[in-house]
Amino acid sequence: MKTYTDEQLITNYLKGNEESLEILIKRYLRPIYSFAFRFVGDSQTAEDITQEVFVKVWRNLKKPALSLSKGFDPKKGSFKTWIFHIAKNTSFDFLKKKKTIPFSEFENEEGGNKLTETLIDPAPLPDGLFERVHVGEILHTAMSRLAPKYRMVLFLRYNDHFTFREITEVLGEPLNTIKSQHRRAIIKLKGLLSDS
Amino acid sequence: MRKDYEELLTHIKPKEPPTGLFDRIILAIKREQELRQTKRLLFSFLFLLVASFIATPLSWAILINQIESSGISYFISTALSDFGTFIALWQDFSLAILESLPITGMIVFAISLGMSVFTFRLFLYRKRLLLGYLMQSFA
Repeated sequence: MKTYTDEQLITNYLKGNEESLEILIKRYLRPIYSFAFRFVGDSQTAEDITQEVFVKVWRNLKKPALSLSKGFDPKKGSFKTWIFHIAKNTSFDFLKKKKTIPFSEFENEEGGNKLTETLIDPAPLPDGLFERVHVGEILHTAMSRLAPKYRMVLFLRYNDHFTFREITEVLGEPLNTIKSQHRRAIIKLKGLLSDS
Repeated sequence: MRKDYEELLTHIKPKEPPTGLFDRIILAIKREQELRQTKRLLFSFLFLLVASFIATPLSWAILINQIESSGISYFISTALSDFGTFIALWQDFSLAILESLPITGMIVFAISLGMSVFTFRLFLYRKRLLLGYLMQSFA
């Protein structure tokens, strides 16, 4: 069976092929649900967010790219980053409604440790980590102790295989901020993994 | 380094979406689609309603004015009062009446009347949908 790119599927859908949208939804259902779940940590809310994300995608797909900048524009970025950006905003809105985490967790950080920001971290992962029996559990605990913004950067980079440039598009923050968040996240995660 | 972390994160099992979520999404999109169509229908209906409310009396007034200013009433009253002459000269009379017909006023009035009938018919056929949407919006 021929595999279509996201952009081809969108073009086909806009030409009237309803099935293309279903393929697109099936393709992104799992990543978006996982993303939402990681963001909110609750399966029911993650379900609602996932549904909302795809409805928003459908709503904005038919909007011309020039109108109000909400529609999908392949020149501005890939569909993948666009849908994750919508997922991030929707999750954020849900969290704001529920107020489960402080708003400041997601704000741009100012006054961060300059030394940490510029530090290159060549150190490998803690020795023997992969040999530990409950590595999944240890990692899960360590990740849950990270700040949401750090957790999100790590998941997007290493789980969803995004480049830094794509992460900036999803999270809407400057490249250097993302890079420094990534560095700090790695340092913190390593610290947590070493302690455990 | 990237490979190490990618391997590390594979130890956290990604959360599987529940079965039925896909159908829920498709259903939500369909509902949204219907809502959008109803909204479009409502706006068309309201536009037609306002337009026919303005156009029908206005075109009626234009028609009356044109009838009064044309000689049609004079020809008709002559034809009725002197029916014998009308029969004898029916071809000339008919031509004169046709020439004095207020064509523009009649066309404008017919269009606006047609629009009013169409709007009324639209409301009769889709009243449940339109009223349901309005009730939902203001609830």
